This record gives sequence, structure tokens and C-alpha cells, in this order.
Amino acid sequence: MGTPLIQIKDLKKYYPVNKGLKDMFSKEKVFVKAIDGIDLTIHKGEILGLAGESGSGKTTTGEILVRLQDATEGSITIDGHPLDVKDGKLKKSFRKEVQMIFQDPYETLNPRFNVFDTIAEPLRIHGLRDKKVLYEKVIKVLEIAELKPAEHFIFRYPHELSGGQRQRVAIARGIVVEPKVLVADEPVSMLDVSIRADILNLLKRLRQDMGLTMLYVSHDLSTIKYLCDRIAIMYLGKIMEIGPVDEVVANPRHPYTQVLLSAVPVADPDYQKERIIIDDEAPDQINLPVGCRFSPRCPFAQEACTRCDHSFTQVGEDHYHACIFEKEALKPRGSSSV
Amino acid sequence: MTLLDVKNVSIEYTTEAGVLKAVDDVSFSLEVGESVGLVGESGCGKTTLAKSIMRLLAKNGSVSTGQMLFKGEDLVTKSDEEIRQLRLNEIAMVSQSAMNALNPVYTVGDQLVEGIMTHTKMTKKEATDRAIEVFRMVGLEAKRLKSFPHQMSGGMKQRAIIAMALTLNPSLIIADEPTTALDVVVQDRILQQIIQIQKEINSSMILITHDISVVSETCETIIVMYGGKVMEKAPTRIFFKTPAHPYSLGLNNAFPSIHEIGEELISIPGAPPNLMDEQNGCRFQERCPFKTETCETKVPELEEVAPGHFSACHYNDQVESFREACKKRETWELVRDRMIEERKRGVS
Repeated sequence: MGTPLIQIKDLKKYYPVNKGLKDMFSKEKVFVKAIDGIDLTIHKGEILGLAGESGSGKTTTGEILVRLQDATEGSITIDGHPLDVKDGKLKKSFRKEVQMIFQDPYETLNPRFNVFDTIAEPLRIHGLRDKKVLYEKVIKVLEIAELKPAEHFIFRYPHELSGGQRQRVAIARGIVVEPKVLVADEPVSMLDVSIRADILNLLKRLRQDMGLTMLYVSHDLSTIKYLCDRIAIMYLGKIMEIGPVDEVVANPRHPYTQVLLSAVPVADPDYQKERIIIDDEAPDQINLPVGCRFSPRCPFAQEACTRCDHSFTQVGEDHYHACIFEKEALKPRGSSSV
Repeated sequence: MTLLDVKNVSIEYTTEAGVLKAVDDVSFSLEVGESVGLVGESGCGKTTLAKSIMRLLAKNGSVSTGQMLFKGEDLVTKSDEEIRQLRLNEIAMVSQSAMNALNPVYTVGDQLVEGIMTHTKMTKKEATDRAIEVFRMVGLEAKRLKSFPHQMSGGMKQRAIIAMALTLNPSLIIADEPTTALDVVVQDRILQQIIQIQKEINSSMILITHDISVVSETCETIIVMYGGKVMEKAPTRIFFKTPAHPYSLGLNNAFPSIHEIGEELISIPGAPPNLMDEQNGCRFQERCPFKTETCETKVPELEEVAPGHFSACHYNDQVESFREACKKRETWELVRDRMIEERKRGVS
């Protein structure tokens, strides 16, 4: 394992909820605990995949890391420098270190900016004015993002580009300031299948050539499996399992991971799938269950799960999970044990 | 027995910028009880084709040529009133993000009962009983009939929509990306339920999706569309074992699999054609590694390459060597280089 570049400690994000007039006068504050105390370490040059259902807190984690949102509590250090996670004001230099790629390539580009302006803007903000240097830099980064020949694309507007090309422009804009960290939130989910692989391969290559460290946020386990070194599975603001991606996919330990993996569609009609059927209702994010957050839906839940505090058990090299039971000790719900 | 026979159908949209041929000379048929997966990229015409069956196209869209025989009667020439009679009774649709189409100020039960009463002669009591029954089939409790849409999760709303589509035991269900907006666990469950119910009431289904792995798990037959044309049609098992069309071969390479370790994905360079432009020859030629002059001028017809397996390529006889070549990254790199060359010519 390399040196840790990003260290996230006990990160929390609570959103206050005001349900109605009555609550406005009551003293008790109600919160949605989007992230409820997570620790994550991302090593230099590593791609960490953050997976989970909607409402698990994965996007919020990414947004706090690029400081689009303030955290309620916790600390983040990037390359040894602590980050003020509660204050929205940022030094400009931070944006040179951490950049983000968003989900929708149709919304993230300014329709009135051509490719050159889009990519040159961050450089201008950071004080580069020389037109010739700007042009050369943009050409270079377009080539890196595989928009070749760059001269063909440089003065085009977003509406002249396909979805895949737009996402490449967005990536070029992200990497033009040569950041250390790239946060990508579902960067391929809006793209057609035949183009997806291209963007994933591009991200892989950027890690190799530029030594980028990445946080890849997605609900799509297959793309995480393809791109990432490690995977962290989130559920209701907590990390349920984290480990090397091949290991977690081949040998999932937490019941939630097992459920998720068993639901991924497989493009092989002969594949015999063992489904784990659970209640698929979205959980209540305000009234969280006591103990393990997954226990109300867990097919193996026992009485002891109410005492679970989501602390990690190590089960392999770098492989941790937050279930209190060993894999062998998992028993169907309702059967007497413990 | 054939339930739906689509013959040489073309569909056009008239826009300010000209005529867009979204579906071009498409034919396929659907047996009673058969489930067909219609796959393709955005803009390939799959949704347009499905909507045209129920005559739900946007105002500027129309079927320009062809026939759609449903139980032997041509849907294209029927009057609006006749089509209205067929909807829900015979043909039902679960559309993309239909869950957002629920009326927020009525309970889902009221909306369901209203639908049943509009299309049948049932009394309110009978309609309510039927509503409870179909809610059970999709895994919703009867008390949910009294819920307003905002009180339900995305998965529940989608289930309610599916319940609505199934209330009158339609002979044909058209499901257009029925689970795209849902989490993977919910998606899996709902798809299983749809399939189960479809089998129970022995209706036929057209499932539209961009995800070939979903088709692999749910449908008997797969139809691959590209640029308004059918590129390949095959029984699902055969398609995944031995795809024939270069586009399908490319798609298979581009699809990440959760169980394969150390796989290398290869994408298809380029993007689908702009259907506003005049199309000559094969629609896939621009992105095809095996393009020849013939492909530029002559439109390939669907040919039977194996029993029940059709592919629209001029070079179906070379499919074995194509299959090998398509697995290699270099094959597709050539296409990329060809595109870069063409753009360079445009720049200079």
C-alpha cells in the first residue's frame, strides 16, 4: 500500500429537518444523518469506489471532499494539510488540488462557452493570461482526454458534441490544473454503454500517467469493479464493508454487500444466480434503527444486532466489514441462536 | 400463435429543421406469451417504436409506412377511439419514470380504480376489489391504495404503476425502462415480479432497455436496434453465446461484468448517426471495423444466420473471423484512427 493522500476521520453530515409549524417551536431538533461518522483513507494513486443505494451518503461524501458542502463534524487531511471542513470559504489553491467530474455531461458545460473557454477558465482563474500558453495547454489536455485532433474540437460548442465527447471536455477541464485528487460522481451513468468503457479507460489511464488519486462514486458495482482498486460500501451514512474490490466481490462478508451483489444483473443466460430476497423498501432516514442500520432488512438479523455499533472487523488484507457475525455464524432471521 | 406482427414500419418526426426518420423499415413479430427485449443506445428508435404501437407518439411523429398487425388487425389504420378501447384492456404500457406521472392530489387507489372503470363496465366495488388483487400481485399491501404518491418510495410508486398496467390482464405489456431510476436491489425484485406476473397471465411483453444484462435475465428473444434499424434478432441464449452483428460484438466487449477478474473493456469508437441527415447504406458503417464500399451504399437486410437468428450485415458469411477480430483492441483502434483521419481532413 502506498502513502495515504486523503484521510477522512469521523466525518458527519446532518441535515436539519423542519417538518412543520409544530416542530419549529419544539426544542428537539430533527436531523437526517446523511453521513454518520465515517473513516476513509485513500492512498496516493489509488482509485477508491464508493457504492451504495440512493440516500446512503455516497454523493455527500464526495461533495464534502471537494468542499461543495460543509461537514457537520470530522476532519479531512489532504497530503498532510488539514482542511477546514466547516467553513465554506476556500483558498483558491485548494481547487488546484481537488477537482470534480459530475454525472450529467449535458448540464455541466456552459452552453455559451466553447471548448477552449471551458477548459481555459480554470487556468485563467489561477492567473494564467497569456493567450498562446493557454491555447497550447488546452490543446495538450484535449489530446490527453483523447479528443483528437484537438484542433477539430477546440472551438466547438457543447451542442456540437456527443455525450461522450462532452464528458471528455469535462474531464479535460478537471485535469487541466493538474490536481492531485479527482472526485468523479457517476461519470458514466448518463452515457450509452458503447461509450462508457471509453471514459472508464480514460480515467484508468489518467491515474497511470498523471498519478491521480480518485474517489469514484457510483451505484453501479460493475463499473466500480472494473475501475477501482478498493471499494467501500455505504448504507444509511455508515460504511458497511471496505476492501480490495476483487476480494469484496468474490468474497463479500457483510450481508448488505451480499444482497447488493446478488441483485446485479449478469449478461450470461447460463449463470445460475442465487438471489437473496430482502424487503426492498427504502429505509427511514430520520428514525434510524437501533444498532445495525441494515438489521430491519437483513435476512440474517438477530437480537444481538441491536448492539452493533458498526465497528470494523478485519477479515483479510485491507478487508474490513461492520457486521458483528462471522460469515459462518450468519443464520436466517428468526432461527434461534446466540 | 402470433400476437403482434410489425411489418416494414417506418416512423418519422417532422421538425423545424426537417424530417427525422426515427424508425426505418423495421419488422418483427411477437408470439403469444413471448417476451422480447428491445435494446439499443439512446436515439436508436426503441421507445418511438414502442409508443407507436399504442399510438402515443408526440404530435409531430407518425407512422409513415408499414403495418402493425395486432391479433390480425392493423393498428396503424384504426381510429383513435378503437385504439383507446385497446389501451389497458389489450395493450398496457409501463413507461420510463412513469412513477412521476402519478397525479399528486389523488390517492393511487383512486387513480387505479378510475382507470379500471373507464375501460370496463365494472362497478366501483368490483374495481376496488380488482385493485386490491393486483396490488397484492406486485407486492403492495391493500392499505397502500389509500396512499398519496408522495407518501410512497420510488419503488412503491413504480409497483403501483405496474399494477395499473396489469389490472385488466392485457395480452401485451410494453415496459419501457421500467426500473432505470431505481436502486439495484429494487430493480432486481421488480423485474422478477414483472416476469412472474407476465407468465401467470400469459401475456406477451416488449421490454425496452439499454442494459443487455437485464434482457439476459428476463427475455426469451433479443432485438438489437441501432440508428432506427434492427441490427440483430436472436433467442437470448444464442445471442449471448454467438452474437453475429459487428455492433453486437462491440457491445459485448464494452460491457463490464461483475464476475470477471482482470477483464479489459473495449468501447465502440464514435457515436450513433444523426438521423436528421440522409442515411445511405448501413447505419453502423462509421463505427464498424469491417466497413467496405458496399456498406456505404447498400442497406443490409436481415438475414437468417442460424435458425431464428437474424443479422443485418453484408458479411454474415465472415461472422466467425469477425468474432475473433472484435475481441482485439487493435481492431477497434483502427476505427478510431480512421475517425481521427477524417476529422483531420476536415480541419485542414
